[in-house]
Amino acid sequence: MKNVIAYAEHRHGETRKVTFELASEAGRIAAALGGKAHAVVLGPGSEQLADQLKSYPLDTIFLSEDADVEAFLLDPIVDYLEAAARIAGPSLVLIPNTLSGRDVAGRLMVRLHAGTVADVVELKVDGDAVVCTSPKLGGALITECALRPADYGVVTVRPNAFAVGTGGAGARLEPLAKPAGKNYCAVVERDVEEGAGELALEEAPVVVAGGRGLGGPEPFDTLLKPLARALGGAVGASRAAADAGWVPYNLQIGQTGKTVTPNLYIAVGISGAIQHKVGMRASGTIVAINKDAASPIGEFSDLLVVGDAFRIVPELTKLVETAKGHLS
Amino acid sequence: MENHQEPIALSSFLIERRSLYHVKIVVTIKLVPNPNAEKRIDPQTKRLVRTGVETVLNPYDEYALEAALQLKERAGGDTTVTIFSMAPDSLKEGLRRALAMGADDAVVLSDEALEGSDVSATAHAMAAALRTLKFDLLVVGGLTDDSSTGAVPGALAEHLGLPCITNARKADIKGDAIEVERETDSGYQTVRGPLPALLTTALTFGEPRYASLKGIMGAKKKSIATISLQDLSLDRPVGTNGSKTELRSFAPPPVRGKGKIVEVSDGLSGAQAIFDFLADKRLV
Repeated sequence: MKNVIAYAEHRHGETRKVTFELASEAGRIAAALGGKAHAVVLGPGSEQLADQLKSYPLDTIFLSEDADVEAFLLDPIVDYLEAAARIAGPSLVLIPNTLSGRDVAGRLMVRLHAGTVADVVELKVDGDAVVCTSPKLGGALITECALRPADYGVVTVRPNAFAVGTGGAGARLEPLAKPAGKNYCAVVERDVEEGAGELALEEAPVVVAGGRGLGGPEPFDTLLKPLARALGGAVGASRAAADAGWVPYNLQIGQTGKTVTPNLYIAVGISGAIQHKVGMRASGTIVAINKDAASPIGEFSDLLVVGDAFRIVPELTKLVETAKGHLS
Repeated sequence: MENHQEPIALSSFLIERRSLYHVKIVVTIKLVPNPNAEKRIDPQTKRLVRTGVETVLNPYDEYALEAALQLKERAGGDTTVTIFSMAPDSLKEGLRRALAMGADDAVVLSDEALEGSDVSATAHAMAAALRTLKFDLLVVGGLTDDSSTGAVPGALAEHLGLPCITNARKADIKGDAIEVERETDSGYQTVRGPLPALLTTALTFGEPRYASLKGIMGAKKKSIATISLQDLSLDRPVGTNGSKTELRSFAPPPVRGKGKIVEVSDGLSGAQAIFDFLADKRLV
C-alpha cells in the first residue's frame, strides 16, 4: 500500500471534526509512504463537503451525489469505496471509528482482501509496513499492530486522536461512476435525526458526566448542562444513569457505551467502577465530585473534591462563566 | 430502483411455511475473559492468557442472544435459536450459560490451527462454518469486549452475501423480511430487508434475561456440537500465518497516579478548588 484514502462521513454535507482529522492524517501518512492522499465523499451534499476538503493535503477527492447512498443501508457506500480504492491503487483506507464506520470497515476489509486494525490512535510508517497504535481490552493494554505488506489495509480511526492540519493546494475532484450490476435490498424507510446540534460526545473537548449520585434525570439538565455549556463541552453519563432511564443510552460512557478522550473530564456523582473507567481513563485531566472520599474514582482522578455536587456545580458554572466574561 | 414484489400467492405460502415449520436463528457468541478480571498477555506468544481466567459471554453477545430469544418468542412455531461460537474446546462448556438463557443448541468451531487468527482470518473461518448451518437470521453482537474491532459483523455479511442491518433496537420478522429500527450516530432509522439477513443489536434492544432454574437444569441436556477446520474447506490459511496483521508490541497505558483529594463543606469552596486547579492547568 502506497496511497492513503480518507473516507469522509457526512450527513447532507454536514460533517464532524474527525473527517478533517482523517484528511490531515491521510496527507501525512501518504507523504511518509511516498504515495498520494485521497478522500471519498458519498451521497447528497458531497459537493459541499468536497469544497471544504480542498484546503487539506489531498490529491484527489472522489465523490458521488448518488441518492442511493441514503436510500439503502450501507451497501452503496461499500461499493463506492471499493471502486475508489481500485482506481487509487494499493492503499490504506482510513475510516472513522463511528457506528457506521465500523460496519463499513468490516465489509471493505473482505472486499479488498485487506488487513484491519480498529480504534487506531496513532499511525507510523516503518519500512514497508504501517504500524497502528490502538488501545485494547478497554484501554488496559496499548498495542502496536503492523499491517503486513499487502495491496490494501483498512483502519478505523478514533475521533479526537489526530491533529487537524490544512495546507492543501486544491485537490482535484473526480466523480465516481455508479457501480454496475448492484441490486440493493436493505431499504431505509425512515431516517430520523435526534439531538441535532449537540456536540458529539466523542469529539467534545470537555465532557461533564453524571452518575447514580445525581438521583434522577433533572440534574442532567439543570446542573450538568449549564456547566458543560460554560466549558464548551458535552454531557455524558454512567451506565447506572442510562440504565435508570435518566438519559438516553447514546450518552453512556464506558465498557458498553462510548469511549471518550476529552482534554477535561468532570465526573459528577460517579463512583468510578471499571465499567465506567474503561470509557474515559485516557482523558487529559480528570476531575471528580463525589460525596464519598473512598469512591474508586479517586484512584484515577487528578482531583477529587469530596462534597455536595448540587452545591458545587452551580458555583463552578458561575466561576467559569465569569472568567469567560473577563476574557471576551 | 423498484422493490421486487413477490406474487401474493408465493409470499403467503412462504409466511405459512415459516409459521408451520420454523425460523432458524443463529446467534454468534464469543467467550471472553471476565471484563472485571485482570488481563495478562503471554510475552512469548503475545496473546491474551485465557487459561486460569474466568470466561464469560461477551457482554454485547448477551444482548444479541436476548434479541434472538425475543424474536423466537414472537415468531412462535418451531422457531429455534442456535448458538455458534469459535472457541478452544476447553472453554465450550461456558456456552451452557447461553443455553440456560433459552437457546436450543450450540455449535462450536474449535481447532488449534485457528489460534492467533486476526479479524480477517477469524471472519473467514466463522463464515465458512456458518455456511454449513443454514439459517434465516444471523444475530451478532456489535462489538467484542476483548478485541473490540467491530469488524466481524460486516465481514461475515460480506462473506455470506447477506444484507447487514446493524445496531438494531427493535426488530420484527414479517414473512420473508425483517423490519428493524436501528440506532445511528445521530438518531435512528427504520430499515427493511429480506431474509436471510445479518442483524447486530444495540444495547437498547433489551437487558439480557437471567437464566431460570428450569433453564439451567435444561441446559445440561442440550447439545454442544463441535466442528473443526477439517469439516470446512477453507481456501486460505487461518491462524497466525493466515493473518494480515501482526502484533508488534503491547504495554499497559501510562499509570494514572492518584491525584489530590480535597474535602469541602460548602459549594463555593468546592467550586473554587476545582476552578483554581483548572486555571492552573489552563483548562479554563
